[in-house]
Amino acid sequence: MKFAHLADVHIGSWRDAKLSDLSTQAFELAMERCMRIPVDFILISGDLFNTPLPSIDRLSRVVQKLKQIQEKGIRTYAIPGSHDYSPSGKTLIDVLEHAGLLINVVKGTVAEGTLNLTFTVDAETGVKITGLLGKRAALEKTYYEHLNLEALEHEPGFKIFMFHSAIAELMEHGLQFSTTLPLSVFPKGFDYYAGGHVHIIRNREYAPYGRIVYPGPVFPANFSELEELGGGGFFLYLDGDVTYERILLHPVHSIMIDAQHKSPEWVAAALREHLQGKEFFKTIVTIRVTGCLGSGSPGDIPFQSIIKEFYEKGAYFVMRNTLQLSSAEFKEVAVAREGTEDVEERIIAEHADQLHIKTIDPERIEALVHAFMRRLSIEKGEGENQTTFEQRVKKDTIHILEQERLI
Amino acid sequence: MIKGQIFSGGYGELLIRKKSEAQLQLGELLVAEQGDSKILLQVYDLLYGSPLAEQMRALIAGMQLEEQHALEFFDAELRNYTLAKAKNILDLSSTAVHKSLPELFTMVREVTPEDVTFLSQPKKPLRLGMLRSGSSEIPVPVAVQGDEALAHHVLIIGTTGRGKSVLVKNIIWDALSEEYCSFLVLDPHDEYFGRTTLGLRQHARGVLYFTPHAVPQGQRTLIINLGSLTPHHFSFMDFSPPQRQLLFAYYKYFGKQWIKEVFVRDMKESFQDEFHEMSLAVVRRKLKLLLDVDTDGQQLFCGGVFSTHAGEHTIHDISKALEEGKSVIVDTSGFSGQVELLIGSMISTELFDRYKQYKKQGILQQKPVVSIVLEEAPRVLGADVLERGSNIYATLAREGRKFKIGLMAITQMPSLIPRSILANMNTKIILGIEMSAERQAIIDSSPQDLSQDHRTIASLDKGEAIITSTFTKFAIPIKIPLFDERIKQNSRQAGQLAFREVRI
Repeated sequence: MKFAHLADVHIGSWRDAKLSDLSTQAFELAMERCMRIPVDFILISGDLFNTPLPSIDRLSRVVQKLKQIQEKGIRTYAIPGSHDYSPSGKTLIDVLEHAGLLINVVKGTVAEGTLNLTFTVDAETGVKITGLLGKRAALEKTYYEHLNLEALEHEPGFKIFMFHSAIAELMEHGLQFSTTLPLSVFPKGFDYYAGGHVHIIRNREYAPYGRIVYPGPVFPANFSELEELGGGGFFLYLDGDVTYERILLHPVHSIMIDAQHKSPEWVAAALREHLQGKEFFKTIVTIRVTGCLGSGSPGDIPFQSIIKEFYEKGAYFVMRNTLQLSSAEFKEVAVAREGTEDVEERIIAEHADQLHIKTIDPERIEALVHAFMRRLSIEKGEGENQTTFEQRVKKDTIHILEQERLI
Repeated sequence: MIKGQIFSGGYGELLIRKKSEAQLQLGELLVAEQGDSKILLQVYDLLYGSPLAEQMRALIAGMQLEEQHALEFFDAELRNYTLAKAKNILDLSSTAVHKSLPELFTMVREVTPEDVTFLSQPKKPLRLGMLRSGSSEIPVPVAVQGDEALAHHVLIIGTTGRGKSVLVKNIIWDALSEEYCSFLVLDPHDEYFGRTTLGLRQHARGVLYFTPHAVPQGQRTLIINLGSLTPHHFSFMDFSPPQRQLLFAYYKYFGKQWIKEVFVRDMKESFQDEFHEMSLAVVRRKLKLLLDVDTDGQQLFCGGVFSTHAGEHTIHDISKALEEGKSVIVDTSGFSGQVELLIGSMISTELFDRYKQYKKQGILQQKPVVSIVLEEAPRVLGADVLERGSNIYATLAREGRKFKIGLMAITQMPSLIPRSILANMNTKIILGIEMSAERQAIIDSSPQDLSQDHRTIASLDKGEAIITSTFTKFAIPIKIPLFDERIKQNSRQAGQLAFREVRI
């Protein structure tokens, strides 16, 4: 039996034009490799898309690839992730399922407040697949807490559980309590736990559960990930062997400069040292400068001209991060090494207690803010006019308020 | 209802003659009213009274017993009566200590809820039980200023079966609804969460539960990464100075990997001849036993609660939850005493370090006070334990209040705890104690004078307690409610879930 396990494709991530197509390219490359092997089926553990309404161009390319996969007789099983859902609970994963291009395995029945998941059986291999979706701020936790674990654990056969959540016990970096799930909410004894959501590469056996795998993104979704992961990939399960398949669209060269007590001239010289005797052909270059300058200001560092020099040496894209750079003359700004979403989540968590809504549990405030942030971050879709866009915003807002019983 | 009349005695030892049809009990609260002033009294001893000499009374008893004389007293209620010794404890009008004598022949009556309205809830209440007069419950909840009382430590004393755990469960149950505090319960008997019985898990706000065994759905596995350990956590262990230096050397050299390196690294590679081979051998043996680890010379294998590849943020998560106002229960049942101490130390140290940092940053006031519940406290605060070396709990007992971290220490043997630590426990909740030495230890260290209460403490029944605290006006007798009854009334109701995104 052979299968591929992808997650966090984030089609449409990155705002810059040169980077925004790379996640789609990485997905296409992954699918081509799957066809070449060929695998029996593919698992996509959430966040196929970066937004609930991706551009039609990119959607079209995804559909095309899924269609090719299908024509090769390879089945695709997916779960929706936190990015796949619109605030009103709609997802393109359902559209793709209706089109017969993939199967959403999040299926079940409800009896006396308990959620009984049902298995989707892969007809050719007999593998039994089930799983649960991921939602923003780990709102899927409630589903897990009401999951009938016993029935899932007693099911015989080769079983795969797909999920899109951070597992608290396995995280390397501290996450907000409210955004992780404990291991105990998962059914034990599955042969493969196909994870997503957390952009880490992890493949390990955890008794008494089984092999828990996070493939990380197919292409890094933010600056930190480019630095840490260098690229993306997915896991291949080939007759019992689980190996990581790397997708390297462009080499990544990361430069980190500690500018603490240094001068802008020193920083410029340190950056230029990286240029000496090297070519950066088709390379993505990340430059991170941190610390409090001993003299001058960050504006005195000639970033523009240095970046130009990288481009002259063939760099595909050069990006810099100076969020943690300050000068002695200015108040130090504390910004951690995080992506935009991490910063948003942290700031919301830090300030959530300032919101007091009598009828809502304080723990739900964060989720409410997230829901609104998510709603308000969705831009006008293609084919939408101002009126329909406004109507949709209003409708989604009412829906959020109704969900929280605020109206 | 009139209970009696003061007819003799002195300050702190008033003699009251009981009204014949009234009942008086040890510990009963009485009110002496004179004009506008009301004085709260408490009975601490009961004895017989009669105008007849004792020999005469003995003779009368003999005549009834031996000769079956049907003797009757004229005006029996006037001649045979009960005397109560009572102490004046509070001027109810000013709620200040009463420092004079009530007038002779002042009538005393039973206490009513209206007399003790000052016991009503403070701004940040820590509810401890219901007011008790003798064995009767008065429908007045007794609460102290919670943030102060918790930060200044609470000691709960009582012999087995008197209701110590029920009391703590009640206290935590009520406090879970408050935002000013959170609790870390190190639970060696796994009795607080309520896996199979009623417990704190039923509370609407919930608690976080960390256990290494059969983790209930939705709760956390207690698994701790070896990288979270530092040599400081082993301060309670019996390491010689060279062995301790060796621990620190490995930690300094290898950082988070230091435990693994102790087992797999040839010492000479890193430290030449700085340490003796024997020191390393002893350190390895002790750590192996304590941490339940094994090695093949290259890799480290973990068998217990410690892991090389998971639980990197368990300690961090517990501390974070506590500072966010969530209460945490850590199931330490099944661990050896040393492992339990080690885990408790790791959490407490992390929390203490964080709170110290918050104080430096000036944001400590935004954080809840954290109370660390320690069952069988002498295991970590006993004089013999502390003689072997100090630990984080002793540090917290001395300094914790400045950083909003308090201990809630539970014991049946307060005499084992050094006086210097007992003196730092500013609220003591005393349940029945049979052993005189233990009673004396607690009476000697009480914020209020309990020198006359030996008998009252000895006579405390199951579910009865006395609170003596710098945060109460007097030593307050309380009744502890039955936990299970309260839970049944107040447990959370599961809402209807739609499971909207699941294809049904």
